This record gives sequence, structure tokens and C-alpha cells, in this order.
Amino acid sequence: MEEKQSLWAFGTRQVVYAAIGAALYGVFSWLTNIFPLPAAGNLSFRPAVAVLIFFGVAFGPWVGLLAGLIGTYLGDALTGWGLYWNWSVGGALMGFFPGLAMGMIQEYRSRRSITLGIIYGAIGIAIGMLFASLTEILVGGIDLNTALVGYFTPAFLGNLIVTIILLPILMVAYQSVMASRGR
Amino acid sequence: MFVTWKYRTRDTFIQRLDPRARLVFMACIIFAITLAQIWDIRLLLPLFVLAFGLYFMARIEWQDIRRAWIFITILVFFIVGLNALLAGRGGPTAVLVEDSPVIFQTPTLYIPLTPWSMTITITVVRAFFAVTQIVRMLTMAALAIVIPYTLDPSIYGVSFRQLGLPDKASFTMDLAFRFVPTLGRDFALTVDAQRARGFELERLRGGILDRLRRLAPLIVPVTMGAIVSGEEVIDAMDLRAFGSRPRTWLRQLHFELRDYFYMGLGAAIMVGYIAIRLSGHGEFWVPDFMYRLAGG
Repeated sequence: MEEKQSLWAFGTRQVVYAAIGAALYGVFSWLTNIFPLPAAGNLSFRPAVAVLIFFGVAFGPWVGLLAGLIGTYLGDALTGWGLYWNWSVGGALMGFFPGLAMGMIQEYRSRRSITLGIIYGAIGIAIGMLFASLTEILVGGIDLNTALVGYFTPAFLGNLIVTIILLPILMVAYQSVMASRGR
Repeated sequence: MFVTWKYRTRDTFIQRLDPRARLVFMACIIFAITLAQIWDIRLLLPLFVLAFGLYFMARIEWQDIRRAWIFITILVFFIVGLNALLAGRGGPTAVLVEDSPVIFQTPTLYIPLTPWSMTITITVVRAFFAVTQIVRMLTMAALAIVIPYTLDPSIYGVSFRQLGLPDKASFTMDLAFRFVPTLGRDFALTVDAQRARGFELERLRGGILDRLRRLAPLIVPVTMGAIVSGEEVIDAMDLRAFGSRPRTWLRQLHFELRDYFYMGLGAAIMVGYIAIRLSGHGEFWVPDFMYRLAGG
């Protein structure tokens, strides 16, 4: 694996990892789209969100952005739900903000790095889901209460729980993989 | 467990259109409805008929799309119901009119062990707003749902490139679509390997934490395996000087007359609806017979 690159670099490495992140996010979303979140009729339980946040944290904001943008559509397309631009942009923001933590992380196994990953992940989830929920006011004609109670709150809490539990496991595993590859 | 695309080759007018023309048309109609904030059902119904006309022209087999429609129907009625329950209004301020005749009102409902109570009131305005909202949401759903069933996964990259997306971002899209079957196969292999170690995928039920705990042995190895194999792809692409100059694409898309007509129709609808809105029309509208039916 290559040495750490600049936060804003977008070369071959970022293209490949953004594509892998998008494909993983899409496939894992497709696998779990059948589990609806409690209290939200159109939102599903997505452990894949932890993978998206991890790709942002490990490979930077552009990788997170593209993985979220394309991966959200892939998950919906594999399930057969169609193309919903605002949720794809929400997914992109959810991947972008955790990417800003990449420059501050040296050792993925350390408590500090994991905490940083979770904090930036939470920021990404909050901004991404808030964007998607609020744009539903324009798209679906819902009011602010419904957007916040029916969409944002369950999406934010569900994704945050997933991130808190799975992101540390992924970060520790990634550190081991890097060590075994001599990086 | 195989990951399969919903796309099938069909000899239909919709699939003969250039994918760029279809994406542009869909964007125009969605902008016509959402940016212009059209809430008059007399303006929404023609778009509803157009969207479903195009949907039926795509000739998607019912057994393929049934589950998606069930999901969308539940979503639409859930959101409309929740909207009515929480606030009884949505986008347009006209729905806030409180002197509309009442069709139905529940007695005051007290929430046990709390000081809270609520009364659900369905007025003529709220009821017709729900109908308008359903028409609006189904119009956009009919346009969006056909895309994965009728757009070849191998031409997303070139379509977005020729729509102006940068080369690397378009290639990321292309590559992501190609990785999906490989990662689906890797996931199936991992499931088999974990089953051989006693992992029980069938018992993937219970609370959220329990589900997560059981999914980790599947998600982590597949993710790490994909990252490791990604290094080989990076090396192969670097050896071929990826990104050193503008990329050429094997397939080139060319607009035909019907594509220009299709995009022109979409653009005309969008401009027309925005003009209607700017001229002061397109607000939420309730037909008089609704008031007469309610005795108002």
C-alpha cells in the first residue's frame, strides 16, 4: 500500500478506492435494505454506512464523497428502488466529512484515532442526513416536523449506532492489514 | 447469493433513447415540480399521466418491479399519513387555512402516563392536500424507478462523462459498477467460509445491536479483502499510465433526433412550469365540489 497522500489528492489510488467503497456500500446496502428502521417507513437499517465512513477516514474526502454518491445509487438500483438525487447527495456528504479526519490519523488502532473517526463520522452523518431530510420538504412536500421526526432522527441515530459499533472494528482490522503488508 | 442487476435488454422506445437524454428529461420534470413548487393538481395531473405513460412504455415485467412498488406505496402513504398526523400540512402555506370544513375529527386522545393529548382533524383542505401530495410523489417515483431497470450498467460512466463530469469521476463510476459482481461473489464466499466455522446467517434477527454483532464477521473480511486486492488494480492502472492524459472511452454516445425532441420536451415543461409559477399560478388548489361534499 502506498504512503499516505495529501488530503485533497485525487489520483489512481483515490479512483480505485472510491470505486471499491461505492461498490461495497452498494452491495451491503442491498443486503440490508429489507430491514426497515423503526419509526421510519422509507429508511432502512444500513450497516454499510460504517464502511462508507471508514473509506472516508482511511482514504480521504474525495473517496468518501464519490463512494457515498455512487454507492447510494448502487444500493437503491440493486434493490430496484430507482434514482433519488437528494439521498445520493446526502450519502456523498456523509462520506466527505469523515474524510477530513484522514490527515489527523497516524495509527488507526489508537483510541484517539478511533474517537476522531467517530466524531467526524457523526458530523458527516448529521450533515448528510440533514441535507437529504430537508430537501424532502421540496421534493415530497412534507413539513419541517415530518422531515426532522420522520426522516432525520431515525436516520441519524441508526447510522450513528452502526458507526460507533462497526467503525472501530474496521479501523483496527485496517491497521493489522497495513502492518501485514509492511506499511 | 448472487448480486444481479435489475437491467434487462428490451426493444422499447425508452431503451432506444440516449441515456443522457433520459437523465436530462428526468431532471427537467423533477425541477419543474420541485423548484417551481407546483401544488395545483390541474398542473400535476398531466405530468402524472406523462410519467406513467413513459413507465408503461418501458414494459418492465411486474414480477421484477413488484417489490419496489410495494415499498414506494407504503412510503407514500406512510409519509402522507405522518404529515397529516404531525402537522396536517406540507409545502404550500395555503394548507394552513384553518377555517376549512371538517370532514372527520377524533376525540381527544390522551397519551397514558403523560400530560400530553392530541386531536386529529381532517379538513377538506388537508384531505385534498394529501391527494395532491400522493399524485406529486407518485409522478416523481414513476420517473425514477425505471432507471435501474432500463439503463445498461456498462454505460453509466460514459454517459456522465459525455454529460460533462470529469474523467476520473466518470471512471470511478464505471469501475464501481464493474466491482459489484466481484464483491458480491466475495461476500458469498465469505458467508460460506463463516458458515463452515459455525456462523448462522439465518439467525440474523433480534435487536439492532444483535444484528450488527452478527454482521461484523461478514463485513470486515470482505472490506479488508477488497482493499488488499485494490492495490493490484492500482498497480495495473498506474502501469498503463492512467490519468496522465484524457481518457478515451470504448463506447461513444451520439444524440439522434428523437433525443433532441425528448430533451426539448423536458426543457419546455420545466420552463413552462417555472413561467406559470412566476406569473402567480400553480398554488395549491381545492375544487369547489370538495367543499360541497363536506357541506361547507
